[in-house]
Amino acid sequence: MATDARILPLAVRPAPRGILRSLLLTLPMLIWSLLMMVYRPGASPDPVSRISGLLTALFMTALFFMMMRTHNTYRWRRIFFVSLGILFPIGFIHNLYVMRGSMGIPIEEMIAGRTPFCFMPIPLLILPAALTRTLVFPGSIAGGMAGMVGIWLALTLVMGKGWCSYACFFGGIEEGVAAIPPRAKIRKLDPRLRYLPWAVLLAMVLLSLALFEPAYCMWLCPFKAVSEYVAARSTIGLIQNVIFVLLFAGLVIALPFLTKKRTQCSWFCPFGAFQSIFNKISIFEVKIDQSRCKPCLICQNACPNLSLSKESVARGETLLSCMKCGACVDACPRGAVIWHIKGTEIAWKPERARLMFLYGAWALAVMFGGTIIAQGIAVILHVVV
Amino acid sequence: MKLRPILGYSAAGATLLVALLTPFLLMGLFSKGVAALPLHVDEVYSGGPTGRAIPMGAYSIDVHRPVYPHFLQSEKPFIQLDWTPVSALPQHVSDAVDIDGDGQPDIRVSFDVPRDPKAPLSVNVESLNPRYQAMSNVGKNQFSRLIVRVNYDKDHAKDNVNDDAIVVRVPLAKP
Repeated sequence: MATDARILPLAVRPAPRGILRSLLLTLPMLIWSLLMMVYRPGASPDPVSRISGLLTALFMTALFFMMMRTHNTYRWRRIFFVSLGILFPIGFIHNLYVMRGSMGIPIEEMIAGRTPFCFMPIPLLILPAALTRTLVFPGSIAGGMAGMVGIWLALTLVMGKGWCSYACFFGGIEEGVAAIPPRAKIRKLDPRLRYLPWAVLLAMVLLSLALFEPAYCMWLCPFKAVSEYVAARSTIGLIQNVIFVLLFAGLVIALPFLTKKRTQCSWFCPFGAFQSIFNKISIFEVKIDQSRCKPCLICQNACPNLSLSKESVARGETLLSCMKCGACVDACPRGAVIWHIKGTEIAWKPERARLMFLYGAWALAVMFGGTIIAQGIAVILHVVV
Repeated sequence: MKLRPILGYSAAGATLLVALLTPFLLMGLFSKGVAALPLHVDEVYSGGPTGRAIPMGAYSIDVHRPVYPHFLQSEKPFIQLDWTPVSALPQHVSDAVDIDGDGQPDIRVSFDVPRDPKAPLSVNVESLNPRYQAMSNVGKNQFSRLIVRVNYDKDHAKDNVNDDAIVVRVPLAKP
């Protein structure tokens, strides 16, 4: 057991770090952000892109500074994440209209292999690829799919399911909606609902293999409503688009507003379920120091993803679906919920574990999400200026 | 310090290193690794590999290998023919195509080539061989029976180089 000197006193939140110390801790991130957003090789010389890159670098650095200063992770990460969720559709839809004049994917673009590839179909492609060497997606391997899979692999090695809190460019929409009401209108949520994403994942993987198409993208992805959809060439296409809009309205807008949870992520997203598996290989995790835990279950209520249960708190751990957003850590009044590096003693320098995780996760958030934010800002600047 | 914490911190440090190397090295390496896997895009989308090209003077017809959809896939077997380049096509095309290379025409394909690349196309296919299904006034409702104008290489197309093709997919009759 760690000595008392290394443990924060009960019921006392850590005092804010000094400004100078916070600045020193932020300095590497400032350099990294400028390198990624402004000075990276191949960056567009267009002045609007340079300005949007600089604004994004400063934005990401400021958020990191506040994380360092306040010891609070969730609130500042959420600002980034919601910005990502809002600005991704702006940049993406703008590009679609410039390129093809519509959000619908025309069949000729599919044949030419120019369907943009997001990370959602990755688990759906594995079985058909393994069994038949065929990718059931109308994209280009070298021109998009390999790049996205490469980014996903690298980010997953660093974050595990933290992908869903630091990289997913869809989750910020519902996190933003969930932040709007002061209190949840629906509080009692059936805990069994947290198994639904696994059921959706299994069904979609099997359907994708049987139908030889990315079944989730074709039929169930709520985010088609704000990205691109199958051009409604037939009644079936029309039905698909109605499903996308209804799921978006229900799971991404209405239910997050009523429950203050990320309901699409918690109850539906097959990619999230798939990504949970990689929490097993991630070295960073969130644990509960049982010597400090009351348990009051404030952490369970704070979790936006239903990743804590009474039983898991009693075991001193989060569930496999933990997205490492930091909400529970920040909410715990006794400092019992902590960042942890696997293999190390519980409660031994949790702030060190937090810093090590945040430096890696935020660096990649700047590289991946920051680029998307910068594109969205560039579109707005183009339109406004 | 015990071994497990040492391993834990080493792994955490390695994770940080992975993060820093990602944009400069790892992302590209992983992407190249994925691209090097012996995988291909489903032929219902790509149309399958080109079997042979039939020269037609200023333009040619690329004949792809037949595509047979998998298990429960909703599309029917088809064969894809590409008329390329579009800039060399006459205003109206009516070609008898020997698909299997036996010296006998198998289908006659007729379509108009509008000057506007975004104008809708429609095709008529007369079957001269029972292996291929006839089509009348077909647009682009299904992957297995369609006519579309495709620019395969939009990113690399230059002002005077036109990579456009008019793609016609003809369903195969049941054996």
